[in-house]
Amino acid sequence: MRADLRRRSVLAAAMMAVPLVAAGCKGVGALGTPPEPGPDVAMLRGAIGTEQALIARYRSAMAGSPALAGTLSPLLAQHREHLARLTSMLIEPPGRSASPQATPSPASTAAPGTGPAATLAALEAAESDAARSLAGRLALAPPALAQLMASIAASEASHALLLRTHEAGG
Amino acid sequence: MTGAAGTTGPATTGSGSTGPAATDTAGPGAARTVTARTDAAGPGRTAAALQSALAAENAAIYGYGVAGAQLGTAARERALRDWTEHEVARDQLQAMLTSLGVKPVAAQPAYRLPFPVHGTRAAISLAGYLENQVAAAYLGIVALDDSRLRTWSAGQAQACALRATTWLGRTAAFPGLASGTGPATARPSASP
Repeated sequence: MRADLRRRSVLAAAMMAVPLVAAGCKGVGALGTPPEPGPDVAMLRGAIGTEQALIARYRSAMAGSPALAGTLSPLLAQHREHLARLTSMLIEPPGRSASPQATPSPASTAAPGTGPAATLAALEAAESDAARSLAGRLALAPPALAQLMASIAASEASHALLLRTHEAGG
Repeated sequence: MTGAAGTTGPATTGSGSTGPAATDTAGPGAARTVTARTDAAGPGRTAAALQSALAAENAAIYGYGVAGAQLGTAARERALRDWTEHEVARDQLQAMLTSLGVKPVAAQPAYRLPFPVHGTRAAISLAGYLENQVAAAYLGIVALDDSRLRTWSAGQAQACALRATTWLGRTAAFPGLASGTGPATARPSASP
């Protein structure tokens, strides 16, 4: 029991040490603790999460409304291209998953509604949100990432336009 | 810096120096992004990117004139609207360059078209092609450090993508960028 107690405190101390290392204690960091990723990494992970959430939405929309497959599959394919290009810009240390967990954005929690028209409207809103979110974060990105984010935002805005056209056309 | 931007036709809109060179060697520790090294940012670099966009706008204005002549009434009206939007953007770019003390690049009397434009289909393809070329030039401005210019040019690139989608009835995965999963580049593809 005593040994167990001691082990617990070692674990706790180890956990306590993490914030100190993260705060920039170089002496400990040099022992091999990975430094905190930069803000551009967080931005890239956010963009990757958004694409993963959009891909999930499209898949679920196509499963729910197979008649929309012709309209939606080219857009889904482009989101997969977005995801691949974004993922290729993220260099993860060995032992870490190359693709971060999908973090569903608040917009993606909206119920898809019923019927193809509601599905298209929900996807259009999600595309517009994604485009706005990317465009809003451009200023802080390094140049190459800013260009990619601007291009993807433009692509997603045009997805929204196309979906709106299909909504209007029935 | 004047004249560095494309003066030979619609095919020369991207600025190679502003394209993101994907080079990075990440250490074993942290996750990183593959980033382009920012050149010594300066008014010269800003002017070059603005000139490239202006040259692309000049080419698009010419190209829309060619396309409009091949289109029926409704489509011609849309071409006229888009043409006007490009003229507004051209005026803004000229004003920005002038305020930097740089002489804006002049429009050419004629531009080499990327393919023969006879009939409605070719005219619509030309409009889509021009929009992608102009978007590519605006992405050159997005690579600059000035956040206001970045936001503005990203908005312009988005407007190009929306116009292209309206013309073509389809979307692109990477408007203004070369497709594929390789290193990103602002250089437009040579073929439409």
